[in-house]
Amino acid sequence: MSKPTDLVQGTLDLLILRTLTHEPMHGWGIAQRIQIVSNQVLQVRQGALYPALHRLEQQGWIRAEWGDSENNRRAKFYSLTKAGQKYLQREKANWERLSSAIGLVLDEARS
Amino acid sequence: MTRWLAKISLRMRSLFHRRTADGELDTELRFHLERQIAANVSAGMSQAEARRAAMREFGGVEQLKEECRDMRDTNYIHDFLHDLRFGLRMLRKSPGFTAVAILTLALGIGANTAIFGVIDSLLLRPLPVENPSQLTVLAFRQGNGPLLTQFSIADFRDLCSQTAGSFSDMMGFQLGFDGLSLEGKADRALTAYVSGNFFSMLDLKAHLGRLILPSEGETPGADPVIVLSYSYWKAHLGSDQRIIGKKILVNGRPNTVVGVAPQGFYGLYPAPGVEAYLPLAMVSSDEPGWPSDVMVNRILQNLYVVGRLRPGATLQSAGAALNVVARRLSTQYPESNKGMTVSVYSERFARPDPGTAGTLMKVAALFLTLVAMVLLLACANIANLLLVRATGREREMAVRAALGAGRNRLVRQMLTESILLALLGGLAGLLLGLWGGRAIASIDLHQAVEVHLYSGFDWRIFAYSFAAALLTGVLVGMVPALRVSRAHIGAALHESGRSIAAGKNRFRSGLVVLQVAGSLMLLVIAGLFARSLVAVQHSNLGFDPQNVVELTMDPTEVGLNETQGLAFYNSVLARINALPGVQSAALTSTVPMGNYGSNDYVKVSDYQNPAGQGLPLVFYGVISARFFETMHIPILRGRSFTEGDVSGSPYVAIVSQAFANRFWPKQNPIGKHFAKVSGATNPLYEVVGVAKDARFSGLTGPIGPFFYLPLAQNYALGTLQTLQIRSAAAPDAVIREAQGVVRSLAPDLPLFSIQTMEEGLDTLNGFLLFQLGAGFAAALGLLGLILAMVGVYGVISYSTSQRTHEIGIRVALGAQQSEILRMILRQGFLIVAMGLIVGSVAAFAFARVISNFLVGVSPADPATYLIVTIVLGLVALLACYIPARRAIRVDPTVALRYE
Repeated sequence: MSKPTDLVQGTLDLLILRTLTHEPMHGWGIAQRIQIVSNQVLQVRQGALYPALHRLEQQGWIRAEWGDSENNRRAKFYSLTKAGQKYLQREKANWERLSSAIGLVLDEARS
Repeated sequence: MTRWLAKISLRMRSLFHRRTADGELDTELRFHLERQIAANVSAGMSQAEARRAAMREFGGVEQLKEECRDMRDTNYIHDFLHDLRFGLRMLRKSPGFTAVAILTLALGIGANTAIFGVIDSLLLRPLPVENPSQLTVLAFRQGNGPLLTQFSIADFRDLCSQTAGSFSDMMGFQLGFDGLSLEGKADRALTAYVSGNFFSMLDLKAHLGRLILPSEGETPGADPVIVLSYSYWKAHLGSDQRIIGKKILVNGRPNTVVGVAPQGFYGLYPAPGVEAYLPLAMVSSDEPGWPSDVMVNRILQNLYVVGRLRPGATLQSAGAALNVVARRLSTQYPESNKGMTVSVYSERFARPDPGTAGTLMKVAALFLTLVAMVLLLACANIANLLLVRATGREREMAVRAALGAGRNRLVRQMLTESILLALLGGLAGLLLGLWGGRAIASIDLHQAVEVHLYSGFDWRIFAYSFAAALLTGVLVGMVPALRVSRAHIGAALHESGRSIAAGKNRFRSGLVVLQVAGSLMLLVIAGLFARSLVAVQHSNLGFDPQNVVELTMDPTEVGLNETQGLAFYNSVLARINALPGVQSAALTSTVPMGNYGSNDYVKVSDYQNPAGQGLPLVFYGVISARFFETMHIPILRGRSFTEGDVSGSPYVAIVSQAFANRFWPKQNPIGKHFAKVSGATNPLYEVVGVAKDARFSGLTGPIGPFFYLPLAQNYALGTLQTLQIRSAAAPDAVIREAQGVVRSLAPDLPLFSIQTMEEGLDTLNGFLLFQLGAGFAAALGLLGLILAMVGVYGVISYSTSQRTHEIGIRVALGAQQSEILRMILRQGFLIVAMGLIVGSVAAFAFARVISNFLVGVSPADPATYLIVTIVLGLVALLACYIPARRAIRVDPTVALRYE
């Protein structure tokens, strides 16, 4: 297993929003999900995760509700708002455009 | 939409339910930690191991919480309120420090507020009229001549009627002095003769009665009405509500009072302020003192012209429109208007008139700079105090940092404290400044005219003081805040309280060097201004103002005609000249540096007026026979006037040297001729004598031409004459006797401007501006001196108190008291000496910039620099000596046990 890669600045928001499209999740779950889905490549530090969650909540992209967790403990569950879904789509399109552009440059450099 | 609602409700929650929100944050993070521990346990760790690993991964919980809280946009409000509470608590905890700091700031900001208040009143404040920004002031030139601000009435009418596309309205007014007398009580006032639309164009409403109507002032002599200014009505007529309809004699002619102008309106400029308004046409026809053709003669230029721009019109378009008319006038009336070009200025940038506005703004900038320096000195004191406190608070800050406070947060807290302090000081300063402004306004300038230096509070003054306070807070708080926030946590927590390093003292000493330098600069500027004042007062004025008293009168006001008036004057002179102690007495229509004087255009024989230029305008005086003797002005050639120069004998004149040199260079002026142009009759005067030049107006530059006419041949009704008496006796006694003489001859005749001639020179045209400038500069210099000395004292006494331990050891080891004293004084001397050197260089550079305002003294005047340096040095050493004395009395046993 290679060393976990640090996240590119600004992509954490995108990952969190994408992770929340399926179901409401709590912070720990989000971190685990990102780690598993990325085949252990992306590891989210708590120090970055919680400020990001609070920022997204303050901006109205996600909404928080208290609920019971799997082991019946009170936990804060985050879910995507309607505005957040639109925002995710927009940011996703931006990201794809950016990464394909970077890909083009890298391919061109290789040939 | 819903997103915004959600955002707002979130912010409300974090603002008003902060505790709940913080509890939830705590729960959330704890949940995460527990899940992590559980995950670690299931990965095979022991319970204790799992907890440690999870904690390690988590990092500083408190820092993380603070970061999350920062994500709430409302956090800064909480922080601010918290800082504010904390700051107030800190200030309350050390009342001594707080009081000294607020007092210092109050002095600095108060001085700024007061000076700015005066500048605001004179230069910045819009006139209290409708749409003041549309008002423009007109001026013109002929050829390459000087900029003139007074137009002829005929030119005004043409300009007004032919530029209606650019100006919605245009009015004119002229200023002069008139004798006003109500029910036997006579007075002299600055009056404005205004075109009928004066008040309607400004859209002013009368305080009482009505103002002058647009229909008035067209037909000469048809509208004998008068409107009084609010301040004249209040000061001279006791705010008499039944004044409307009463008759006031203006130069002996009855005018009906129709109204009182609104409060706070002093005419177009507050210094001097207009005291009464009359219709323009009342100057003409049979009014005494005015030539009959004043309404049509284009050479008689004495009307200030103000236009109101139409919406959309610009200064450029208006100027173009005016110059079309000016070109037409110069071809149509080449004799009077040749080469005329008109310029137009926005009223606010043309105070008091377009020609001198630039100078006044420079003076304003100069004083704002000086007073800003005073504030800077105050800032240095506060910064010093804060630095001392900050050093004592290093541990507190380190503890805060260890508990998760970010660097920005610490800086913000320190700044909140210093800004809080500055705003409190600013508030005190504002009150002090308003009081100072009112004090300036109430200074009795002994002027014959109203001078309103200060018109009260407005938002500009508030904004200025507020900005000054805010800037002060940031400035004085920045240094200690950055210093503390940079401090190393570990070092500060481990060190004892006695951790003040030498580096910090160096910075504080640097501040004191700057203070001494700044104070030296202020004192040098004050000294140079004072020397300028002395220089102009002792410059060769061409006459001798010592031992002369003055009384001004106009016998027209008690109804004397020309013959009676002359007879009256002759008896007055004869009786006063016979008084014991009186060397000589004379009458003159023009007093040096006075508020009024006669001038006229002259046609000079044997002199070719340059083509394209108007006739030369020359000041003159109508005098009685012994004037030159009284004023000690020598007659260089020919003769003085005698009792023989009376009505019926040949018309004679005496000219000044400058007059002779300008019009008849290298020729004998005796026997030459010239004439005035604007009198009712304009006889040809024959020059019988040449007098040495004397300054009648202006204190610097070359003395202009001047001529004298004998009173007996040139008596004019409605003209003020000043009786000048040279006597060795005490001025009070001479004045009393002279009043007695006048009263015995004409019991009701009012006398004005009763003063010594030296007092009479302290006018707006004379020494007054120099005196005000020197006075203000001296006050600021003194303030700067006090602030700098507080700084020197503070730093030396603080550093000696820090060295108590060391001094104790030295004394214990056998050091003499004198050695200790010398050691401390040396430290103080070094700081002061550096300040003096830096200050001298800076003062010289600054003095060079303002050398235009200095008269008769060089910006490098050695005496000023020497005296200021010595005085400042001695006072500074005294400020060092007091703490040094205290230090040498230290008992070594006490000092060693200390701490």
